[in-house]
Amino acid sequence: MADYSEHMTKAADLGLENGRVPTEYYTSPEYFRREQEMIFRRAWLMVGRVEEVPEPGDYVVRDMPTLKASVIIARGKDGEVRAFHNACSHRGVALVCQDRGNALTFRCPYHAWTYRIDGSLSAIPGEQDFAHVDKAANGLARIHLDSWSGFIFLNFADEPEVTLPEYLAGLDVMLEGAPFDQFPFYVAVTDEIDCNWKNLVNAFNEGYHVAVLHAKTLRPMVVPKDNPHLHYLDIKQFGPHSAGTVPRNFDYNPQAPALTWVYAQMLPTSAPDMEAIAQGRAGFYEHPGINRLNIPNFGTETITIFPNISIQPLANGYLFYQFWPISEGRMRTEVRVYARHAPRTLREEFAMASTLAATRDVVVEDMAMSRLQQIGFESGGKKFQHFGQNEPLLRMFTRDYEAFLAGGGLGPPARQAEAAE
Amino acid sequence: MSQVTLPQQFAFLEPFVANWGGLRSADERYAKRQELAQGELEALHAALAPRLEEVFTHLDQFDPQALPEAEALLFRVVLGLTEAAQAVEIFGQPRVPHAPFPHSVKMAWAGYQPH
Repeated sequence: MADYSEHMTKAADLGLENGRVPTEYYTSPEYFRREQEMIFRRAWLMVGRVEEVPEPGDYVVRDMPTLKASVIIARGKDGEVRAFHNACSHRGVALVCQDRGNALTFRCPYHAWTYRIDGSLSAIPGEQDFAHVDKAANGLARIHLDSWSGFIFLNFADEPEVTLPEYLAGLDVMLEGAPFDQFPFYVAVTDEIDCNWKNLVNAFNEGYHVAVLHAKTLRPMVVPKDNPHLHYLDIKQFGPHSAGTVPRNFDYNPQAPALTWVYAQMLPTSAPDMEAIAQGRAGFYEHPGINRLNIPNFGTETITIFPNISIQPLANGYLFYQFWPISEGRMRTEVRVYARHAPRTLREEFAMASTLAATRDVVVEDMAMSRLQQIGFESGGKKFQHFGQNEPLLRMFTRDYEAFLAGGGLGPPARQAEAAE
Repeated sequence: MSQVTLPQQFAFLEPFVANWGGLRSADERYAKRQELAQGELEALHAALAPRLEEVFTHLDQFDPQALPEAEALLFRVVLGLTEAAQAVEIFGQPRVPHAPFPHSVKMAWAGYQPH
């Protein structure tokens, strides 16, 4: 096998010297308040997929705990997808009470003020008593929305400082045409954990822990002999976002009877489809922006979108992780496992349920460790944590985190599509 | 529970009906796995894992969305293995190390109603 050690990007290769980071960032209510204002009200936030609202009139309601926002995302009769605060213009009621549906209008259950699916106010019962209300100016409050590759992004600023393409800073160019739309079916796994959200962001930005924390789960599958600390390869920076190539252990050959049977029914999203790879039709594998080194044992390209998203394209689907802070010591994780299709047989349902249990248990390991980490931070004996040369993305995230808190981070849009090497 | 019983050829799974036959979601099965002793999880695994193909050859005959009661009960017991196998084949213990107990996660399949 070729030697890929030269592609194991070190922090110093990226000029990142910040190896010591204050634990205060992870425990302080004041930092959380600044994160709300300086990061989550300024950044473009990835919240879902356009396939969630495929038809005119389709809507979903998302609760976003970080900003205490209730958001309606709806596709209008004109086909445009829009986002609104879920609040009646009259006296503020969160008027859409179902998680999802299809509607021509939204009617407030309090006094029946009624809105069209495009958010405009269409009817006020007893309108003569509201002569002072300009209907044209009192539709549902819009939230800026744009999409890239089918992913919906919201921006809660009154006026976004940069456009979504400027925000993505070249990551969008590298991944243009990546076949996310070929995997429309998903299962969402959601949990709330007593830890700071950045603990989870960091866990997904380094492979160093995989051989230890995931010794029984992921290690046999993904850690190859020639990269025992699962060093990410070929790290690429795009503004505050990044991508790195993660190998896989192609010697993995499970013998356990239930697991073997499951693999024979339906390959999990994560497992390489050797036959398809040989025939050059293995989903994301063929995309030029993914696995640029063309390593033969490619596992995933782990893509981090600032501040709180990780996407991992895999052989037969992809994983989409969202990490939402609720407070400095509590967060919500939503993991979506995307696949080509829903189960068509009971065999496939069993296989999918089995691999979901396995995926959940891996994420539970990460969440459990992040909770223990929070206990340690809050104990107060350590003022700093250490990020190694082999944890460059943690240093990079911290650099950009500090820039956002200081009022920067958003531009001018530097196209940094260069690899570190 | 009513007197629904397993299809006759799968009577060997009868000892596992009480624990697994009434569970209706992945979260209930995850909770059950955390509660049971490893020996109970190993017993289900030992009885069922080598015979999965036989079970599904039988279930293949039915419409997945309209299972007769006996087959629906069988499939619910079999789904117990999705959790038991994690304990037996992966962890060597019922619970994920360091996770809170009891632990629960929300799981939602988009546009599909799992059994």
